[in-house]
Amino acid sequence: MNIKPNLPEEIAPGGRQYSFRTDMKVNGWSWVAVLTSFVGEVFWLPYHRGWPVAARMVIALAPLLASLLWVRSVLQWMRGMDELHRRITQAAVVFATVATLFIITASHFLVVAGVFPPRFQATEGFVVIWLVVCFYILGHNIFNRRYQ
Amino acid sequence: MKNCLRELRGSKEWSQADLADKVGVSRQTINAIETEKYDPSLPLAFKVAKLFKLSIEEIFQPEEN
Repeated sequence: MNIKPNLPEEIAPGGRQYSFRTDMKVNGWSWVAVLTSFVGEVFWLPYHRGWPVAARMVIALAPLLASLLWVRSVLQWMRGMDELHRRITQAAVVFATVATLFIITASHFLVVAGVFPPRFQATEGFVVIWLVVCFYILGHNIFNRRYQ
Repeated sequence: MKNCLRELRGSKEWSQADLADKVGVSRQTINAIETEKYDPSLPLAFKVAKLFKLSIEEIFQPEEN
């Protein structure tokens, strides 16, 4: 008997196979990234320009470090999948990355062109992470349908 | 690619989940192979062939044009 492969359904909330423990193991660092980014970019950095450079650097870069750890845990989780689910997940990750980059770039150009007000510039870390997650879910549903 | 995996599995009276467990993949992967929506990798094809004590060609055949 073989070890059971990791399944994407284990981290899809609401599903029958959902496991909170697995979800936190895979996506725990994304929550840390979202929280540190939200607190830092919304409450701290804009109002404390006088803080030491080192402190501001730590606050600004903390979400990036958490994001890198998130990517590492996602890659480890993908390595434990079987070949079909790995293929679906890879396609969904590429889709999410490209779609997020497109939205960020498009919003930047539209703000620069004066079409959108500056608040529509989707460059905050927590917005980027939510975009990636939303596009991943969409991409996974699209690519998974092919094999059902 | 055509295959006779469903018939072979049926002859052993295994469910898709049983076969998936034996070759270390998910039930959805076995279903996708049986319904010919997904072609397995060479290592997985070898695992399946070894399990049924057959050659790969006896289980998987290329699609006729």
